[in-house]
Amino acid sequence: MATATAIPGGIAERDWEMPEQVGLWQDSWRRLRRNKFAVIGLVIVAVVIVDALIAPFWTPYETWRQALGPTYQGITPAHLLGLDESGRDILSRLMSGATVALEVGIGASALASLFGIFMGLIAGFYRGKIDAVISTIINVWYGVPDLLVAMTLVVLLGRGVINLVVAIAVTGWLGMARLVRGQTLSLREREFNEAARASGTRSLTIVFRHILPNALGPIIVQATYLVPAAIIFEAFLSLLGLGVPPPTPSWGDMASEGYKSLQVAPHIILAPSIAISLTVLAFNWLGDGLRDAIDPRMRR
Amino acid sequence: MRGTLVYTGQRLVLIAFTALAVSSIVFIGIHLQPGSSLLTDRPSNPVRLQQLLHQFNLDLPWPQQYWIWLTHAIRGDMGVSLSSNRGESLTPVLLREAGVSMTLGFFAILFTIFVGIGLGTLAAIRQNTWVDYVASTAAVITYSIPPFVWAFLLIIVTVTYLYTLTGGAIYEDIGWGKPEQIPVPALALGLPYAAIVARLTRASMLEVIRQDYVRTAWAKGLTGRVVVVRHALRNALIPVVTILGPLVTAIITGSVVIEFLFGIPGLGKEFVNSILSRDYNITVAVFTAYAVIVGFANLAVDLSYPLLDPRIRY
Repeated sequence: MATATAIPGGIAERDWEMPEQVGLWQDSWRRLRRNKFAVIGLVIVAVVIVDALIAPFWTPYETWRQALGPTYQGITPAHLLGLDESGRDILSRLMSGATVALEVGIGASALASLFGIFMGLIAGFYRGKIDAVISTIINVWYGVPDLLVAMTLVVLLGRGVINLVVAIAVTGWLGMARLVRGQTLSLREREFNEAARASGTRSLTIVFRHILPNALGPIIVQATYLVPAAIIFEAFLSLLGLGVPPPTPSWGDMASEGYKSLQVAPHIILAPSIAISLTVLAFNWLGDGLRDAIDPRMRR
Repeated sequence: MRGTLVYTGQRLVLIAFTALAVSSIVFIGIHLQPGSSLLTDRPSNPVRLQQLLHQFNLDLPWPQQYWIWLTHAIRGDMGVSLSSNRGESLTPVLLREAGVSMTLGFFAILFTIFVGIGLGTLAAIRQNTWVDYVASTAAVITYSIPPFVWAFLLIIVTVTYLYTLTGGAIYEDIGWGKPEQIPVPALALGLPYAAIVARLTRASMLEVIRQDYVRTAWAKGLTGRVVVVRHALRNALIPVVTILGPLVTAIITGSVVIEFLFGIPGLGKEFVNSILSRDYNITVAVFTAYAVIVGFANLAVDLSYPLLDPRIRY
């Protein structure tokens, strides 16, 4: 492209007016980098992810070891966030809690997204009776408060990371399915899909080569928003004693223990509360940034 | 008018269908699972246990149990409690608790709507000033903090600090029953959603404010208040109303958390207790009650569209 080529019609030397070749994703990434909040969000998310990867192998103290010092001890150089009601190191437990939060958050978001995309593609592509059935299921299921479904399922299935992921994804897929259904309905009528159909392309190819890639932008944004929602769910279920079983520390567990000693030692509850809020905030900023970057028209 | 009636009728049928579907799914799911609140009791005499199972129809196959439950539920009898007050009829208890939850939810929604719309409008008409930046940033931070963390923060501030600060003269008395116990939990419940409403109002207001008819209103020499409230806000609110439906669902879900933490004897607290003590009659009843409440709340929201926008008809 760089060399000037003689174009029939006589216009030479047109390399200076050629627009730079930038793909959609490169362009989005550039817009994302320019967004201050999105970058802060991305950095915090990266820190939490690195922390979640390190914590299973190394924490300053063992998360379960009690009586490391006086119980309810505040901030000291040896224990940067203090000690909890059994004298365990709060910083170590906080680091370890990130692992659970991300396992559940990303796991539930991935599971809910996959199922939602699948249902949305089927409903939007085949329309008619199949769409009517799926849409009715979605509308009925929407009328049920999601938190209650998750609580009931955890009680029925038992505690544990995988069961938490399933319990949260069972209601989490609804929004994704609605989004993908809408996208599919509009994309399948576009000219390029009409052309694909006219040239005898198989349905499966149309769905996965022509529709899905074009809907990927909004899907990524929605999946990003699902992560903080799942983290909040996990924290609340742990708060009720329905989260991952001890001794694995989770932010919700720590908050529930801190709640009992709210009056004497507020630092115990503040640490996990701030960790949850910061992580959720970071994912929301990242989601907002991605939304504006991938499709600037969606900006609110 | 006729259209509205037909539409309302269709929606009522859908609500009934949803309640039926939800109750049966929850009922069957729970009854296929081993264990009940009777079995988790202290080691009991097998004869007595058999008597109890028989008394509450728990020894029947589940389709029969479901039929008995359904025929009673349709007549408004939600069965009896199996755990704490075994044998107590649930309907009056649940009605009382639904009243408590709805009072809390009502104040939370009131707060959400007024504060959200107010701040959103303010941020829009002062766009790109410090008011806008502060309000917009505060909104993202506020809705990223989950309701239970708001509850912790508010409890720390209103209980512990206010008590120490005023020497015990003014502080939040956690619980329910007195009017002064309503605002703090309602605030904790409504804050994150107020932030969402504020963001949406700001965005929608910014679009409306640039339209020609608003400029005309200014040019006519109307006062700012009339232009903003009567001309701009009224149109800006239409997209905002569309999220009130999901908002009501979210507030109901959130009230489970808030009631649990503030010790408010509402439906949400009952639900948590029932699920922890495996009192499944209550679980099914509260689930069904919530499905009905969410259905009616959404219906009310949808019926309010034509009031704001006469172009919408049913």
